[in-house]
Amino acid sequence: MSGPLISSTSWRRRNSLVLALMLAVPSITSPLAALAVALDTSQYPLIARGGGGGGRGGGGFSGGGRGGGSFGGGRSGFQNTGGAGGLNRGANRPSGGWSQSVRGNAPSPSLSRPASRPSGGFSGADRTPGSLGAGNRTPGSLGGGNRTPADFGNRTPGDLGNRTPGDFGNRTPGSLGGIDRTPGSLSGIDRTPGNVDRSNLGNRTGLTSGDRALGGDGSFNRNANLNRDNLNGSFNRDGQRVFNGSVGNNWSRNWNVNNVNLSPGWARPGWGYARPWGTGWYGGWATPSWGWWGANAALWGISTLASAAVINAAVDSAVSSNTTYIVVPQTTYQLLYGTVQPSGSQGVTFLVQADGNTYNLTADCNAGTIDGAMPNDAAQAELLNAACQVAYGSAS
Amino acid sequence: MPPPLLRGILACAALLGSCLMPAAAQSQSQPAPSSATPSKVLYTLATQCSLAGGPPQPCTVEATDESGTTIYRHRIGAQTIAVRITDSPVTMAIKSGTSTTWVPLRTAGALFSTNTICFNGRELCVVNPNYLNSVREDRQDLRLQGRDLVKVHFGPDGRVNASCYDSGCEADLR
Repeated sequence: MSGPLISSTSWRRRNSLVLALMLAVPSITSPLAALAVALDTSQYPLIARGGGGGGRGGGGFSGGGRGGGSFGGGRSGFQNTGGAGGLNRGANRPSGGWSQSVRGNAPSPSLSRPASRPSGGFSGADRTPGSLGAGNRTPGSLGGGNRTPADFGNRTPGDLGNRTPGDFGNRTPGSLGGIDRTPGSLSGIDRTPGNVDRSNLGNRTGLTSGDRALGGDGSFNRNANLNRDNLNGSFNRDGQRVFNGSVGNNWSRNWNVNNVNLSPGWARPGWGYARPWGTGWYGGWATPSWGWWGANAALWGISTLASAAVINAAVDSAVSSNTTYIVVPQTTYQLLYGTVQPSGSQGVTFLVQADGNTYNLTADCNAGTIDGAMPNDAAQAELLNAACQVAYGSAS
Repeated sequence: MPPPLLRGILACAALLGSCLMPAAAQSQSQPAPSSATPSKVLYTLATQCSLAGGPPQPCTVEATDESGTTIYRHRIGAQTIAVRITDSPVTMAIKSGTSTTWVPLRTAGALFSTNTICFNGRELCVVNPNYLNSVREDRQDLRLQGRDLVKVHFGPDGRVNASCYDSGCEADLR
C-alpha cells in the first residue's frame, strides 16, 4: 500500500511545484502564452491559402474565403467549403413539394441563355417588344411600383399630340390622368373667348351621344350625359382604366407577411415549369366561362381580363427585380405571387395587399369565386384571374 | 488512490479501451453508414434529358437520399446514368450503366430559367425543376438572388475550385 501513497504524494508535490513556480514567477506564463499564439497563428497562412497571404490583415482568414479582395466578400462562390456556386445536393423538400413530371410542353434541356439579356435576366421565353403588350402595361408590370401623375412630368396639352375627343373614349374631364382640364385651369393657354384657337376642332363633328359636341356658336355642349360608370379609378399612361382594389366584407386581413415564405423555390426564373403541381389548364379563353361573367362584365364595362402573357410577364419582371409582388393588371391590388398555392384541384390560396392590409384569400378557378363569392367588381375579377393564372395558367 | 483524473484514464484503458481512440478509428469499428441507413426515394420525375448535346429525349429521374448523399438515376431509354452529389463539401460524381466506379465530375451548370442542370459540359443535361427548387429554397441568401446561370468547376480532389454566375461564366480568367 506504500506505493500508491508515495505516488500520490509525489503527484501532489509535483503539481504544487508547478503551481508555485507559476505564482512566484508570473513571467513564466508569458512564453507559454506566446507559444500558444504562435502555434495558432501559424495555421493562418495554411487556411488562408490564396487569400492574400498572411495573418488577419491579409483578408484571407475572416470569412473563410475572402480572397485578395478582387472577388469581393465571402460569398463570391470561391469559398473553400460548401459554396459550390449555390448548388447543393438538392435533398431538402421545397415548399410546394416535389413534382412528379414536367408538365405541359416541357422545355428542352438547355444552358443557353437568351442572346440579349438585361442585367437581372429574363426568365423563360424570349420576350419580344410586342409581347409586353404596349397597351396593357400596368404600373406593376413595369416593375416600378405605383406611378403618380408627377412621374409623367410636366405634360402640357400640346404633348398629347393631335388626339381627338374620340381618342379619350369615355373619359371625364376630371379623370384624365391627373391633368386638370377644366377650362379655367389649362395652364399656359389663354382661353378667353377671343383668343381660343378652335381651328383644330374641326374634326370633332360626328361625336356620338354622350360626348362633347361643338356647337355652331363655338361653345361646347357640356350636357352631363357623359358615361361616368366605373370611372372611379384612374388611368394608366397607356389609357387603360385602373380600378381601385376593393376589399370584400369577408376577407380575412392583417396577415403577418413576415411569417410567410414569400420566395418558395419555384418562384424564380423558369417559375412556369417549376410550379410543383398540375398546371396549364387555366385560361386560354377569350372570356371566362364563369356563369356570372357576361352580365357582370358588361356592367363593369370590361370585355376581357388581363391575358396570360401579361400576367406571366409581370411575374417574370418581379422575379428579375427580386420583387415579392405583382400589381394585378388594371387594379391597385398587390398579389404576393410567391404565396400562391393550390388548394384542391381547382382552388388557389394566396395573399394580396390592398389598402395597407394583407388578406389571405381562397379562389376557385373553375367556378370563378373568391372566398366562395363571385367578385364584387372588375378589380376583384382581375385579382381572381391573376391568382389563377399564376397558379394554373400556361407557362410562357 | 490515484487522483480522479488518473482513475478515469485507467478505467478507460481497462474497461472501455476506446476513450482515447481517435474518431476515425472509432468509425471504422462501426458498420458503414450506407448499410445502416436505408435509402429513401425523394421523388421520381418524368422529364426531358439530352446526351452529349443531342436532342431532348423523354427520361425519368429518380432521386434518392442515401446516407447523406443524393443519387440521381437518369433513365434514358435503356441507358441509366447516375449522378451522386454530396454536401460539405459539395462534390459530384457520375456513373454510367453497370459500372461500379464513380467518376468525379469536372463541371456542372444550372440554368434556372430553363430548369436545366448539366453535368460535364453537356455530357448529360436534364430538366429537373425539383432539384433547382430545392437549391433555390435552401439558398435564400444573396448568393442566388437575381442569378440565372450558375456553373461550378471541380478540381482534381473533387471539390469546387471555381464557380461563376450569368455573364461571369463567359469570362476567361486564365
